[in-house]
Amino acid sequence: MNPYKKNTLTVRWLKTAFFWGMMLACTSSLAVAGGIKHLTPTEDAYDCYACHKKATPIIAENWLDSKHGVVLVKCFVCHGQPDGQGSVPWAVSPDPKKVCVKCHDPAMKRMEFKFGLKPQCYTCHPFHQNSLHHKAYSKSQSKK
Amino acid sequence: MKLTRREVLKSAAAASAFMAMNGTLPDLAMAAPGEPDKWVKAVCRFCGTGCGVMIGVKAGKVVTVKGDPNNHNKGFLCLKGAELPSIVNATKSRVTRPYIRRNGQLEPASWDEAMTLVVSKFKDAIKKHGPTSVAYYGSGQALTEESYLANKIWKAGLRSNNVEGNPRLCMASAVGGYYSSFGKDEPIGCYDDIDAATCFFIIGANMSECHPILFKRVAARKQADPNVKIIVVDPRRTNTARIADEHVSFKPGTDLAILNAMAYVIIEEELDSPRFYNKYVNFMTNDKKKVDFKAYRKFLEDYTPEKAEKISGVPAEQIRKIAKMFGNASATMSMWTMGLNQRIRGVWANNLTTNLHLLTGQLGKPGATNFSLTGQPNACGGVRDTGSLCHLLPAGRMIKKPKDRAALEKQWGLKPGTIAPKPGLHTIALWNAFSEGKIKAMFVLCTNPAQSLPNVNMYTEGMRRKDNFMVLSEPFMDAETVKYCDVLLPPAFWCEKRGVYGCTERRYSLLMKAIEPIGECRPDVDILLDFATRMGVDPKVIPFKNVDDIWNEWREVSSATPYNFKGMTRARQEKESGILWPCPTEDHPGTCHRYVRGEDPNIPKDYKNKMWFYGTKDGKARLWLRPYAPAAEEPDAQYPMVLTTGRVIDHWHTGTMTMKSPVLRRSFPKAYVEVNIDDAKKHGIKNGDNVLLETRRDKMVFQAKVSDVCRPGLVFVPWFDQNLIINKLTLNAFDKGSKQPEYKICAVRIKKA
Repeated sequence: MNPYKKNTLTVRWLKTAFFWGMMLACTSSLAVAGGIKHLTPTEDAYDCYACHKKATPIIAENWLDSKHGVVLVKCFVCHGQPDGQGSVPWAVSPDPKKVCVKCHDPAMKRMEFKFGLKPQCYTCHPFHQNSLHHKAYSKSQSKK
Repeated sequence: MKLTRREVLKSAAAASAFMAMNGTLPDLAMAAPGEPDKWVKAVCRFCGTGCGVMIGVKAGKVVTVKGDPNNHNKGFLCLKGAELPSIVNATKSRVTRPYIRRNGQLEPASWDEAMTLVVSKFKDAIKKHGPTSVAYYGSGQALTEESYLANKIWKAGLRSNNVEGNPRLCMASAVGGYYSSFGKDEPIGCYDDIDAATCFFIIGANMSECHPILFKRVAARKQADPNVKIIVVDPRRTNTARIADEHVSFKPGTDLAILNAMAYVIIEEELDSPRFYNKYVNFMTNDKKKVDFKAYRKFLEDYTPEKAEKISGVPAEQIRKIAKMFGNASATMSMWTMGLNQRIRGVWANNLTTNLHLLTGQLGKPGATNFSLTGQPNACGGVRDTGSLCHLLPAGRMIKKPKDRAALEKQWGLKPGTIAPKPGLHTIALWNAFSEGKIKAMFVLCTNPAQSLPNVNMYTEGMRRKDNFMVLSEPFMDAETVKYCDVLLPPAFWCEKRGVYGCTERRYSLLMKAIEPIGECRPDVDILLDFATRMGVDPKVIPFKNVDDIWNEWREVSSATPYNFKGMTRARQEKESGILWPCPTEDHPGTCHRYVRGEDPNIPKDYKNKMWFYGTKDGKARLWLRPYAPAAEEPDAQYPMVLTTGRVIDHWHTGTMTMKSPVLRRSFPKAYVEVNIDDAKKHGIKNGDNVLLETRRDKMVFQAKVSDVCRPGLVFVPWFDQNLIINKLTLNAFDKGSKQPEYKICAVRIKKA
């Protein structure tokens, strides 16, 4: 039996459970706009980091210390814009096929070849826990 | 079912991701651009890194891009590259038909009307004032074929050597540096050296924001091996300095002294390589006299680290430390850009950096190279290599050399003496002459001089004159220069045409046409061919039917020179993602390291030495004894601070493209002034306050960004903002050798507005 398949099933089950659970829990606060709840930034205040440094300091600092932060792949590159005017869809979890693929196509193909198609990159690479969104240098050294 | 800790973590992360995604499903469906019908290979439109991109096209429209996995960027794109579709699709801002200025207003016109007017003005100027009264001002963003064609039309067809372009403003000092050190232009190493280097010496470059994908490669190198040393020499503590082992902040302009002091330490610590310099190097004084190593050592006595500390403000200890890092490393790669180039001593600064490599023998082996980074996507391939500057001819030939002119005339099938023997006017002299009405007609292509020239008020005044004529080929209606042109032509933009870009590492890549030009837009090659025909240029001189004909002639021309890239046929270019010249035959893989036996096809395989600097008469490189000299406008009591300008990662050049992307525009909506915390305190300035900047040329108000990025005494303003054109304040003093202006340093005073 392929152990990887077993894991995938587990993850899928958990995802589905959490998804519907959280949908239920959050409906009241998110239903208003039919999208993610986000303050409306003004035309000259779209520096995501400047605001998120205060609003979600841990996430902001994780990004800054991460590989994406070091090379200045800014928030909007993967998450789009709150009003949908970005060149990728506005989403907390970027769609790998529309977003990650822009830079990581070779790696995604490699992964698909090795492990089969996964619905999300972060099934295996939870990027808020790896060096894409965490301490790039200390992470890489700790791997040794 | 038993779960491991890793599985639980993965599940939790996935679950939280899905939790957050719940509101996005409808948006996803609405914004989904759809799967492209086809992917077309091209090169990014922005910086000189020259990343390969794959353009996703659906129903004749660009819907997405991704990095080209087969080009040097290995599939990666920076945030500007990822935004290319929104710029291509900003069709509302495009110039879609020709315009003629009548009574001060641009009025729509037909192609025939516009071209008839352009040609009558050029013919009239040549008839009354001779061929030197007309000029071409091109761009490091034009395709190679466009620059080659314009160069040939002017120099061979119209017999005017007034062919210039914006690379004079960004790369001329690097050209001068390579030419004076090795006898030939262009970097001798390649990007692959980044993966092999054990020490990076980054001076006068903010790679993180100006060459993000190369910076990513440097950062990845450091991440893979923490023993790799990175030295960043910059008066600003930029994002590049985040990964540095040593950040060296110095008084702007004094890097010449630091570089000489590093050479002093390298010799003092016996980290020099007599084996290398005794065999391959001539020591030369400023007045081109050959001297010996002893004389060089004596010259360096003026630059002990202690003396350099007094000049530069850098602690002697730190100079010693970085010199040892440079010399001790098994392979040191130095990289620089405008911090060295945009200076009145730009060529000298280039030479002094190269000196460190010649002294230590850090050349010609993997990872050891002196590598100048380019600012524009086709400054190297398009302008430097095709010789589209006033003193050059294609493939490194010089106008002033009768032999070079004769060789090219033979290749081009011209009568001997067709090419005028006197070089034309360099960029600043050209625009001075245009402003004085001495240049009567100018063809400006793919550049925005009304924002990019230094001390630009002088030149926009000149552009307003009624007795000179400027035709502009510009894709965007709101570009600053559009306000001043007499005829505006609509060119096809980026992936609407086909041609070659040549990036920093001598890599030539083909951009394939992905979509049709909009409106009445035409590729610049077609515009120039039409212009040549109407001007009555001999069809034997311009025998081209299309862009591929031009490329094939250029390949042939190169084959008689060390640039030889005859092996880069169109068929091969369509298949491959960029090849590095020299590449003499179709089966040649391209060259990573020039001047190295076994790698450079210009060197016989049985040549006696490992290296041969064949650009110079005796085959030796030159180490120049260049003294420290101050900037053109040092701060004084009246203007006590230094103003420097540069890029931010979100925008590129004058912002005509990047400001079209909603996210890039919002990410960095306007220029600001970066002020050091101490200076801010001294002037009572807080973050966000309005600050008046005043130089001897103009004054302007910017919002303050108070931080420790700039060192005390220095302020920085990015130059992309059309509403706050910082070049109204900058200085147009230029390097006597390279004729490149000193954008990086001028005296300024600030106060709270």
